[in-house]
Amino acid sequence: MRAPLVQGDTPLTRINVTPIIDVALVLVIILLITAPMLSVADVELELPQAHARDTEDPLFVSITLGPAGEVAVDDRMLPGLDALTTALRQQLQQSEREDLLVVVRADARLPHAVVREAMTAARDGGATRLAVATRQGGRR
Amino acid sequence: MRRWNQDHAAAGGTNEVNLTPLIDVSLALVVILLLATPLAFESSFAVRRAAATARSSAEETETARIEVAVLSADSVRVNRQVVTVAGLGPSLKPLLERSPDGMVAVSCRDSVPHGSFVEVLDTIKLSGAQDIAVAGR
Repeated sequence: MRAPLVQGDTPLTRINVTPIIDVALVLVIILLITAPMLSVADVELELPQAHARDTEDPLFVSITLGPAGEVAVDDRMLPGLDALTTALRQQLQQSEREDLLVVVRADARLPHAVVREAMTAARDGGATRLAVATRQGGRR
Repeated sequence: MRRWNQDHAAAGGTNEVNLTPLIDVSLALVVILLLATPLAFESSFAVRRAAATARSSAEETETARIEVAVLSADSVRVNRQVVTVAGLGPSLKPLLERSPDGMVAVSCRDSVPHGSFVEVLDTIKLSGAQDIAVAGR
């Protein structure tokens, strides 16, 4: 230690832990915020643009429908739409809330038939609240 | 600066810059950005099941029910009138003003791109609809 820990005639024997606690708490907050974001599948998506917004629930289960036929529930990739109902039912059973919001994140180029099939599968899997994900495009 | 450091070190003080407050503020800014980004760029709107809506609104008059069918990427049918997507808002507003619950039932052809379907939902929401019910299979 280069600087002598002396304050007047009394040596300073305690380390100041306040800054390290401060930084550690900020890191904890970052982890808490990023944890739900990491639960979304890593699929390249072009979400449809919209101006209206009404569903702001931080807790949700996501269904991702990629442009090349990728299907995922949260971050779990599925072999196809056929497996969606079972996977979603398992996911909803694991959560504590019964009316958990299910957000369908579908690529804008997909035909509506695929999205409708996914929404039907979601309802069959126990989803009571459904929402369609959009990319916010500002006010009109 | 170097002389100040040398003098200060010689006097028994520390000559290192304390980076902790800078890191602290930077991390706080990262947190603010993390919070702001999804709110600013990604959102969603709720949709309901059209079948349940039809049952619950069975007692209402025929004129109160608003049905929108997406025929293609640029044309929609509002009740029995075919309009462009751009003309959807002006067609819907007077109907929504007369509607007691502000509910709109939406159906869409299979081949219509999801982006066009969401554009119609967006226009319906911005026209003042309280609820949107999407027709299933």
